[in-house]
Amino acid sequence: MNDLQEIPTASKTSTTSVDIRNVSFNYGNTQALKDITLDVRRNEVTAFIGPSGCGKSTLLRCINRMNDEIVGTRITHGEIVVDGINIHDPSVDVVKLRRDVGMVFQKSNPFPSSIYENVAYGLRMRGERDKAVLDQSVHESLQAAALWDEVKDRLNESALGLSGGQQQRLCIARTIAVKPTVVLMDEPCSALDPIATAKVEDLIWTLKNDYTFIIVTHNMQQAARVSDKTAFFYMGGLIEFGETKRMFSSPSVKKTEEYITGRFG
Amino acid sequence: MASEKSSNAKTGHKFQRSGFSYEQLIRFFFASNAGLSIVILTLIIAFLLKEGLGFFPGYRRDLETYRIAGLEFVDISRNNLTAHEQLTSLLNRAYYAEVNGKSSRELKRTEEASALYNAFTDQVGPTRDLILNNPQAETDGNAGMKAALLNNYEKQREKALQKPLSTPHLTNEERQQLIESLRARPPEATDDPPLVAALAQEFVAAQQKHAAPLQEFRTVIDDFESAGFDLGSIVMEMTESVTVTKEQLQTADILEKDRKTLLAAASGEKDPVERERLLADAHAALADKPDVETPMQALLERKPECVRLHEELKTASSAAFDKIPQSLTESDAKRILSAARKAWPVFITDLDMAPGKINAWKHTDPVPLSDAFMSFLTGKKWVTGGEWQDFYGILPLAIGSLMIAMIALSIAIPVSISAAIYVNHFAKPREQALVKPIIEFIQAIPSVVLGFVGILVFGTILREISVMDAFQWVPGFPIEERLNIFTAGCLLALMSIPTIFSLAEDALNNVPSAYAEASEALGASHVQTAFRVMIPASFSGILAAILLGFGRVIGETMVVLLVAGNRIKIPDFSEGLGAFFQPSHTLTGIIAQELGEVPLGSVHYRALFVVGIVLFAVVLGINATAHHFVNRAKK
Ligand SMILES: Nc1ncnc2c1ncn2[C@@H]1O[C@H](COP(=O)(O)OP(=O)(O)OP(=O)(O)O)[C@@H](O)[C@H]1O
Ligand SMILES: [Mg+2]
Repeated sequence: MNDLQEIPTASKTSTTSVDIRNVSFNYGNTQALKDITLDVRRNEVTAFIGPSGCGKSTLLRCINRMNDEIVGTRITHGEIVVDGINIHDPSVDVVKLRRDVGMVFQKSNPFPSSIYENVAYGLRMRGERDKAVLDQSVHESLQAAALWDEVKDRLNESALGLSGGQQQRLCIARTIAVKPTVVLMDEPCSALDPIATAKVEDLIWTLKNDYTFIIVTHNMQQAARVSDKTAFFYMGGLIEFGETKRMFSSPSVKKTEEYITGRFG
Repeated sequence: MASEKSSNAKTGHKFQRSGFSYEQLIRFFFASNAGLSIVILTLIIAFLLKEGLGFFPGYRRDLETYRIAGLEFVDISRNNLTAHEQLTSLLNRAYYAEVNGKSSRELKRTEEASALYNAFTDQVGPTRDLILNNPQAETDGNAGMKAALLNNYEKQREKALQKPLSTPHLTNEERQQLIESLRARPPEATDDPPLVAALAQEFVAAQQKHAAPLQEFRTVIDDFESAGFDLGSIVMEMTESVTVTKEQLQTADILEKDRKTLLAAASGEKDPVERERLLADAHAALADKPDVETPMQALLERKPECVRLHEELKTASSAAFDKIPQSLTESDAKRILSAARKAWPVFITDLDMAPGKINAWKHTDPVPLSDAFMSFLTGKKWVTGGEWQDFYGILPLAIGSLMIAMIALSIAIPVSISAAIYVNHFAKPREQALVKPIIEFIQAIPSVVLGFVGILVFGTILREISVMDAFQWVPGFPIEERLNIFTAGCLLALMSIPTIFSLAEDALNNVPSAYAEASEALGASHVQTAFRVMIPASFSGILAAILLGFGRVIGETMVVLLVAGNRIKIPDFSEGLGAFFQPSHTLTGIIAQELGEVPLGSVHYRALFVVGIVLFAVVLGINATAHHFVNRAKK
């Protein structure tokens, strides 16, 4: 299933899932990330926090190379290693990389097709035609995303008819349907009400055993509730990275404390 | 309660509304412009309807005259006669195709030799004329001048002989001989060079040789032709008498119309003297009702004779047709003969039905308005300005327009949509910046210029391709007319490509990029994303683009007028797809071509307006549907 793991590496046994080493990143001539080093452990939830424009989304999009689609962008320095493989190696097929590194966007973006097709899309693109397999996967993924009970009678209706919160959970279901190892989430709850937010957070907790999560959030309580580790970014740089509990109780950098306590940002 | 309050407020308070504000003025300016276009549109529609709707009563009266005067009766026989003539001509064509096909080597040889010779005379012609028609050189015996002219002629002659036309079917000696004979030819010679004459004779001899075994076929054709003579002469006699009646009826109609105008003027006139005068004029214009009964009775008396002649025609032509050869050897001849065989049963059924029709025909049958409607909508003939009878059937035009649109769209849709997909999904930014403006630039070519290119380049090339041996499997090849449905369709495709391309590209562009991101983040390849998400999501918009392209094609006038060949006839579908290589006329073309020449207010003039209304309605319908899809895409 995981194409990247087919290549035997030393790090396979290690617990590092995404290893970001000295990464600098440019949009054209403006530098958005400065020398970021960070390692994300398997089956942990890592939260990225920081003021708007500090580069959280940029870093997230580097991990599944979504930035490739933007003209004029490049990693100027450093490398990102996922499951022991440098993702910028010329031999890496970005399509296969994204099968292992899934992404949920800040704004829910279901396809304008049925709920069923949305969830089945990823597998279909992988050439899966067996209806039974697809049915099974749709069922499991929707259940995992805590959406099954709400939509089980309307699987063939348009996904655009769902509420915003349901759409976001559908996008999560769609992402986990292809069984990635890493799930990147860019402010997945920014458009959701507290109940839907709680559902997504529960979801992350329950799925943690099978996936590695990286979640960008502006919500400090959420970061505290849901994550094992937290990374605080400021102006394109990584200011502090560590255990969430420790970070929120006794941050070692003053900037972090100011941000967490809401004195700026 | 509100009014109570407002009455309390004193004028000049701080919320006081000022009179006619600047803002209102601006608003009025824009509103009036928008209103103006609506008013103009309404006026156009009203004008179209006013001019157009008068058509049906007028046409009904035309059809009534057609019946009362007996033209309709004559047409029963005449149509069969025409069918017979067409069959005769097919048989003749088959005969000549056979003979000429068998002598094709000789035909090519004589054609090539004469072509070379003609090209030569064309080139030396002017200098030669100077020598022959120069009186000064004659009278003065001015030797120097004569020599100069001769010298000039010889130079021109050498130039002409430097690159003579190619003659693949002549032997090298023959070619050399011909060229030498031209070089040695004195300027005043008028007879053909010996080889040209010899080849012409060779051809005639070959024709005779191959005609000999076909002697029997020739006689059969002649017999077949003469089978129609008797019916032909009676139709001619009847034609004369009914045309006279028809003219009388038409004159009476015109006088009647004048009288009505005078009466109307009289009733509006205040001055009693003047009114009297107008009334008197009107009375004078009261024409004697033309006598239609007498000639009609004479016509009706001919019924038995017509029936008998039909039966004779059937017996005689069947006897002849049975004797035509089972098959011919030349492929052209075979094709034409089989066309004749196909037409034969139709002809015979018509002949069988004729007596019944002739006996049942009554000149007193009324012509309801619905006949005019049906004749317009389902009429297979659009015949105007003829001496016999005008018919306004829209079918040949509508079919022409539709077939051209079919060709145009079946080329333009794949090309423009693929181009749009390429530009939108696969092109690099630099390619995008190049391809888009170039395709859209096609729109800048004036359609007249395009038509021009179509006639001169495209039509010619197509015809040349169609005679090539390698392409004979294409239905309809070799094409007979350089200008036909296919050429027009191709050019219209070119014209509609930018329209469809731009709109489809917009539609693809309007698909939120979030869909693409989502798809790619799920591990779909670029191609998968394009074809599974982006293109389906823009489907409505693409459909709208196609429809608007269709509207554009149906409404286009200049190119079809120039390139479609303008033959008002329903294409012959017995040729299958070859029907697309026949010339045709169109709804738009007919208006452009005929409107300038018809008398104002005539039935013909109004008929063109109705065609305009039909066109308007069709394009409106297409655009409305497209609009519907665009709106759906926006949702
Ligand atoms: N496509 C782009 N082209 C050029 N610059 C960009 C682009 N996207 C982001 N940037 C710039 O890069 C910097 C980091 O942006 P990024 O989106 O990563 O911030 P963020 O931390 O996700 O902010 P937010 O919390 O508001 O989402 C910003 O200064 C932004 O202006
Ligand atoms: Mg962001």
